[in-house]
Amino acid sequence: MKLAMNMLRQYVDIPVTPEEYSERMIMTGTAVEGIEDIAEGIEKVVVGRVLTCEDVEGTHLHQCTVDVGGEEPLHIVCGAPNVKAGALVPVALDGAKLPGGIKIKKGKLRGMVSEGMLCAATELKIPQELYPSVGDEGLLIFNEDYPVGSDIRPIVGIDDTAVDFEILANRPDCLCAMGIARETAAALNTEFKAPVITVKEAGGSFDDEVKVTVEAPDLCPRYAARVIKNVRIKESPLWLRKYLHGAGLRAINNIVDITNYVMIEYGHPMHAFDLSKVRGREIVVRRAHEGEMLTTLDGNEHALRTDDLVICDKERATGLAGVMGGEESEIVEGTTDVMFECASFDRTAIRLTSRAHGMRTEASGRFERGVACGTVMDALNRACQLVNELDAGDVVSGCFDFYPNPKPQKVITANVQRVQERAGVDIPAEDMVKIMRKLQFGCELEGDTLTVTVPSFREDMDGEADVCEECLRIYGYEHIGATNLRGETTQGGVSPMKALKDRIMRLLTGLGYLEIMNFSFTGVSEIKKLGLPEEDLRNQSMPIRNPLGEDTAVMRPTLVCDMMRTLAFNQNHSTETACLYEMAAVFDHHHPTEEGLPTETQTLCLGAYGPNVDFFTVRGALEAILRMCGITCEVEAGGDCYYHPGRKAKLVRGRDVFAVLGEVHPAVREKFDMPKRAVVAELNLQLLLTYAKPMGEMKPLPRFPAMQRDLALVMDEAVTVGPLMADMRKAAGKLLESIEMVDVYRAAQIGEGKKSVAFSLTFRAPDRTLTDEEVTKAMDKVLKTCSDKYSANIR
Amino acid sequence: MSVVDTLREIRERVESELGSIDTSAALDALRVKVLGKKGELTALLKGMGQLAPEDRPKVGAQINEVRAWLTEKMDEAQERIHNAEQEAAMKAETIDVTEPRALPTVGSAHPITLVMNELIECFSGMGFDVMEGPEVELDHYNFELMNLPKNHPARDAQDTFYMDDNIVLRTHTSPMQARAMLTRPLPIRIICPGRVYRADEVDATHSPVFHQMEGLVIDEHVKMSDLRGTLEAFAKKLYGEGTTTRFRPSFFPFTEPSAEVDMTCVACHGKGCSICKGTGWIEVLGSGMVHPHVLEMCGIDSTKYAGFAFGIGLERIAMQRYGIRDMRLLYEGDARLFSQLR
Repeated sequence: MKLAMNMLRQYVDIPVTPEEYSERMIMTGTAVEGIEDIAEGIEKVVVGRVLTCEDVEGTHLHQCTVDVGGEEPLHIVCGAPNVKAGALVPVALDGAKLPGGIKIKKGKLRGMVSEGMLCAATELKIPQELYPSVGDEGLLIFNEDYPVGSDIRPIVGIDDTAVDFEILANRPDCLCAMGIARETAAALNTEFKAPVITVKEAGGSFDDEVKVTVEAPDLCPRYAARVIKNVRIKESPLWLRKYLHGAGLRAINNIVDITNYVMIEYGHPMHAFDLSKVRGREIVVRRAHEGEMLTTLDGNEHALRTDDLVICDKERATGLAGVMGGEESEIVEGTTDVMFECASFDRTAIRLTSRAHGMRTEASGRFERGVACGTVMDALNRACQLVNELDAGDVVSGCFDFYPNPKPQKVITANVQRVQERAGVDIPAEDMVKIMRKLQFGCELEGDTLTVTVPSFREDMDGEADVCEECLRIYGYEHIGATNLRGETTQGGVSPMKALKDRIMRLLTGLGYLEIMNFSFTGVSEIKKLGLPEEDLRNQSMPIRNPLGEDTAVMRPTLVCDMMRTLAFNQNHSTETACLYEMAAVFDHHHPTEEGLPTETQTLCLGAYGPNVDFFTVRGALEAILRMCGITCEVEAGGDCYYHPGRKAKLVRGRDVFAVLGEVHPAVREKFDMPKRAVVAELNLQLLLTYAKPMGEMKPLPRFPAMQRDLALVMDEAVTVGPLMADMRKAAGKLLESIEMVDVYRAAQIGEGKKSVAFSLTFRAPDRTLTDEEVTKAMDKVLKTCSDKYSANIR
Repeated sequence: MSVVDTLREIRERVESELGSIDTSAALDALRVKVLGKKGELTALLKGMGQLAPEDRPKVGAQINEVRAWLTEKMDEAQERIHNAEQEAAMKAETIDVTEPRALPTVGSAHPITLVMNELIECFSGMGFDVMEGPEVELDHYNFELMNLPKNHPARDAQDTFYMDDNIVLRTHTSPMQARAMLTRPLPIRIICPGRVYRADEVDATHSPVFHQMEGLVIDEHVKMSDLRGTLEAFAKKLYGEGTTTRFRPSFFPFTEPSAEVDMTCVACHGKGCSICKGTGWIEVLGSGMVHPHVLEMCGIDSTKYAGFAFGIGLERIAMQRYGIRDMRLLYEGDARLFSQLR
């Protein structure tokens, strides 16, 4: 919200520079977005009278002498078509500055000396609504008489600074000059001077002019109106125009300008009705009827909701209350009778109406944030006072004021010590009283108790904590010292899940994996790419009611889609090798929690590709994680359908599936635009955390030597080595310390569809040196099992 | 030739030969020839029988003396030759140590995780416990217990994703405040890092998914200055000793008084630069004293207990720290970018 500083100065002294003012306001809680020179940098531009003006032959130029109040007139060359002797014009002197950083210097034009420049309105960036005669082509010629040599800035009303305030959501009372002035008085410790409002009434009676009825007091807690007769529509005086300009508003005519001025002064959006257009001279404030239609001022037609509050005349709705008026009753050149409306509407109702009809106006924005009931009459009477002052019409005696349930006066008691403790600053009690009074609260101190009477415009004030904030921010947040927390010592630490994630992070980063993060939502079409069977619940993931778009419409039930997309992205950006991981929640609303929320399962997703990356690289990383957690899993062929049917596996223990991994199915790769093979895995971190075992003690080193036996077995290709080794382990008995697969060999001499697998078995007893016979006996059992169960025989 | 002469001859010959020998093999051959079982000195000893018995001890002593002397010389030569051979061997094995090789690939956590862990370390050192909770959250915790009843205008400021009327994607980590107050014994000192969601279109400075870290302290006699002390300690740890904080009055529905907290600009150390828009300060977090209504709604006696809360945005810190100018890069997963992290 922008306001001109000179407008504020009507109500409060500001004895500091705009920069100092802005800093002080920021530090007391009124944010300032920026300060701008309304003159846009204009300097040394004065009023001058053209004394002589001669055409320069063969050009469009004129050679002029101009009186700017100096001893000698200036010689100035001017190209404007409308320059003529006798005209009063703005003159940029030698060294003058114009908007946009332009500097004017004495110089020569076509050999003729020019000691300055005569300026056009566009060069000075003066808008027409601020200074009406600027609309002429070419040179700006003043219609009024001004002394030559005087600064043009006050003449056209730009000798001011506008401050752009950013008002906090809880302070709608600051959305006007009055509110800012109150804050300013407290921030700068100067005096707040409220306008003294007096209205000169011209007789007659409000009730004879118009009948007002409020049928929806719940949506319209206060509605006030006054009537002006014999309206004399004209231009507003310069002071009013320039304050509107400073606030970024356009001057239109005296009546409209008065309503806008009162809005920026008191924060009350007002509406002016041309009474001759109000059918039956009757105003009704009511809820819209089912199916009722309304065309607003902007020409749009709206189908109204029954919760919309409308302003009607005797026949029909003419405006959306607090949002936009109707076209018919607009103030025009010939308007003679006007009704001013000043009201307070329910902010939620206005918000919903404005939202439902997609209309946000200055008025609706203010009503949504809250317009106080208490100051309605002040604002209305202030408008009438301005009518008197501007001689814009005659104020009819009497008024309408519907306010059936006046808000009670709020009184807050606050304990000085508690306020001090909360603030952590020992603000003296007398200072608290001073501060509260500066902010226009009533405030009395008795013993340790402050009794604070809340003015009607401060609807945000509720209790002691609010009093604390008011005192502290004006006293100064810079007084808040830095103290250490006291009291009972607390044990800091991370949650078990966070600790697990950190350990996995260290392991994976050591293995060369980079962490990625993706959005938690995805698109249905993205999940479809996985080609899951129809009944798979991941196809029906949790939808967001108001998503940003289709590609972010559902909560992701798996991390693999985003992983595949990211792998493809990297492949398509010429990255030769990438090992990536993500740890995040996946969402399942088909199995809700006790609170009715979706189950969020923390999940690890791995994805890798590159010349030295294969299925076993990724399986190795998963097994390393499981080993780190003290969990032993079996590898079982199989897994989700988006993996290569011959290259996918599950890491299982009993009925628990800890992880599923595989090379991405070529068809799925095509859908994700992934040119190269890649391996992807998902691991359930929740399950891992449940079964993770602490490290415990280490095994002592062996005291007796081991015996090693090597073995090569020929078997069918179809035999899976994992289960075979499990059986070998069982058969070898407890003397077997370890068994390792050494290599797999395939060749013609071994036979079609066969492979030779070499193993190395280590035997050891904890209490003695083994004998050859013992080991041979164990090996015989191993061989028998291999032969009987797998037809795997020694090569 | 007398034995003595022979001995002298052997001694002189060996001494001169040793000078020119440069391989272990030649030395071994010489050793065998002179000192071996069938060597020259052994031959001399064997020939002692021909000497007069009274000369034998003297000659024997002389032979042994020469043997000892020769052994010592040969050992010396052996050490010299061994060293020379080792030198030569190593010289032959010289590699070009400047030859470039591929580095072992070391990965990295995400910039957000790196910042998050740094913050966790800092606060857990001050006795804060990490607490995590659901990202899909009840409206009740996300808004109502945070003093934002239905239709409160401040709800609009946080463009919320709704699952239904009662379930939202949490718009801040603040609902964890309520969950902590309702479940944990007092005093409470927690931080809650995590993902939060706002219906913002993606651009260089906005993302519908981002990260926050909530802090909450509830105890008897907690003051606004404790908040400042805690945040100053955090600022110094994160950005260095010279860092200070600036508190500006602000508004959050769930704190009263509320403060926006700025920290000395890291880039210019408070002198004013383009990053801090000339102010010397960078806005880092929002904070305040927990609103008495919030305490009461969460079943805590607000006349006995007080508390403070703060919420830190992690993206901004990560972007500043790693010079990431566009927030989208954080969520793109480009290995070329993240592999630069260390």
